[in-house]
Amino acid sequence: MNLKKVLSPNTVWVDLKADSKQGIIEEMVDRLVSAGKISEREAVLEAVFEREEKMSTGMQNGVAIPHGKTDAVKSLVAAVGLNKAGVDFDSMDGLPCTIFIMTISPLKRRGPHMQFLAEVSRLIGQPAEREKLLACQTHNEIYELLTGK
Amino acid sequence: MHEPAATNLVHQAGEVAAHAAEASGHSITHMMMHLILQLAVIIIVAKIGGYLFQRFLKMPSVLGELASGMVIGPYALGGMIDLPGLGVLFAENAGFAASAELYGIATLASIILLFLAGLETDLAAFLRYSVVGSFVGLGGLVFAFVLGDGLAVMWPDNGIDSFMDPAALFLGVISVATSVGITARILAEKRKMASPEGVTILAGAVFDDVLGIVTLAIVMGMAKVSMDGGEVNWGEIGIIAAKAVGFFVIVTSLGLIFARKITSAIKKFKSTEIIVAICFGLALLLAGLAEMAGLAMIIGAYIMGLALSRTDLAHEIEHHLEGVYNILVPIFFCVMGMMVDFSVMKPVLVFGAVYSILAIFSKVLGCGLPAFLTKFNLRGSLRIGLGMLPRGEVALIIAGIGLASGIIDQGIFGVSIMMTVITTMLAPPLLVKSFEGGSGLRKELEGGSEEIETIILEFPSRDITEFLLHRFIRALQDEEFFVHHLHTDQPTHRVLKDDIAFTLIQDGNKLQVNVPSANQHVARMILLEELLSLSDLLESTKQMKGLDEMGSDLMSGLFA
Repeated sequence: MNLKKVLSPNTVWVDLKADSKQGIIEEMVDRLVSAGKISEREAVLEAVFEREEKMSTGMQNGVAIPHGKTDAVKSLVAAVGLNKAGVDFDSMDGLPCTIFIMTISPLKRRGPHMQFLAEVSRLIGQPAEREKLLACQTHNEIYELLTGK
Repeated sequence: MHEPAATNLVHQAGEVAAHAAEASGHSITHMMMHLILQLAVIIIVAKIGGYLFQRFLKMPSVLGELASGMVIGPYALGGMIDLPGLGVLFAENAGFAASAELYGIATLASIILLFLAGLETDLAAFLRYSVVGSFVGLGGLVFAFVLGDGLAVMWPDNGIDSFMDPAALFLGVISVATSVGITARILAEKRKMASPEGVTILAGAVFDDVLGIVTLAIVMGMAKVSMDGGEVNWGEIGIIAAKAVGFFVIVTSLGLIFARKITSAIKKFKSTEIIVAICFGLALLLAGLAEMAGLAMIIGAYIMGLALSRTDLAHEIEHHLEGVYNILVPIFFCVMGMMVDFSVMKPVLVFGAVYSILAIFSKVLGCGLPAFLTKFNLRGSLRIGLGMLPRGEVALIIAGIGLASGIIDQGIFGVSIMMTVITTMLAPPLLVKSFEGGSGLRKELEGGSEEIETIILEFPSRDITEFLLHRFIRALQDEEFFVHHLHTDQPTHRVLKDDIAFTLIQDGNKLQVNVPSANQHVARMILLEELLSLSDLLESTKQMKGLDEMGSDLMSGLFA
């Protein structure tokens, strides 16, 4: 799938600051609000935290995929952020997470929502590719790396 | 003085037009009534014949449908049944066993058949084997043409003494055209369409079709010139040949390049029925264009199917056309059977028998040899040779052209029919038999397909598995996947979208997902989300009224 349709240069960040799971989620949502992608901050946060309650989206090898479904968005909103220091995200392997992929999708509308998560996950499935992503210094570099393939 | 005369003339003209309309209106209704009755007989008899052959003779239903046609055709029972007010049920029509209307429906059926054959072709495998396919097609073509033409020259007392004699050239070209339709249906029935042999046969048949028509065009050109007593005009032959080859190469490439764009544009209609109908319309369009370019219509239909086979719509189209296919395609085979006139075959029986035997050997050797020299073992090569054996509609059409243009006489036309019938009747049982046993590929080429991951989830009961399977399918559809239910013993679904394809199988209380490694992320993630959504469901059942209370609500007042 074409990630350019979903990602834009102002929804990829190399410099997430928060040092907790809740902090990272709030920071990403706040940045999406300032990027003009989301207007209802609280509804979105509620959806993401509701999903985290069922099962943490901290996967393995530093990757987390916080996501949620809410009608506060009309179409898929997505973001990719890095926190190179690593954050405890209740991950499956207990390792701190450094790569965060977030999607907010509408409740009822059809669309390739999970497919976006899966596509990004596939792109960074191998250690070498994750290292390349973590080596990015600017927002643009991440954008180029993810959408250039 | 002039005015009344003018008015009178206008009146007369009007009356003539009205009479003509009345007459034609009457005859059209009459023709249609006759056609509908013919179709009724054909469909019922062909279906029953197909069933009987399949059930009791363990042969493909195709043969039963052909045999039904022979029985009810104008040269057998059909010619004896006189309908009051309509005439003979099936009458010969200008040397043709079917009326134009009936033949039109059979033609439509052959287009559907080839369109679906194209759709069912795994293009990745097609391209992988197409080099072999081209050698197979070319080998069969050269062997068949030379043996067919040569026999006519060698046979004593038939007045043919030159390899370039028009009738000899026609006997050559008639024995060239393989009828992929009959083979395709057998491959589909036996689920061998996607096997290396199946793909090679279909690829070979495409080359065979194109080269066969090119050969026909060349032969027609040569025949015309030599009948006029002149010399062969190579320039003209070159132009006809270039046109035929060019159409195939250009249209197939364009189709493949633009298929995704075309389907995404069509998908804007959101309704599967409209999408399927438009795709079928495009197949008909390309079939017509192919005919206009001097190729056979079925080639255009096949190319359209091939172009769409790589899109996620392929299974949807197949699924929706299945009903039409089941009714129309038996009509095609039945009409083919009706074309057989036993009385014409009597005087040329020996020549016909030798011609038929050579037609069999020419394809088995001509197609089998290139296959054996490339990727296949003896078993695989035999399957390919036998798959290329049947001559069907194209051979009959070419024979018809020859008869109509006076190049071949009624006798040679009879021989062509005999060869077509024998090869068509021999191929299915031989082909089915040959597909018993193991792989037809050489040992070193077996396997090597892309890695498939199997995910198995086990649930406490079959009910829960079924419930989750349906939830999972709905979630996939929400993600814009096409989910296609296969008619197999175990509930099996094929999931498709662009390049992603995987299968879901419910095996008792287990849910099995077979997915290529490259696409496992999306399958796993959607599965996980659906599993998690179960917790919402469990939560919501707690909010239900007590079951006792609900039950007594339902039952109260029933026994006043």
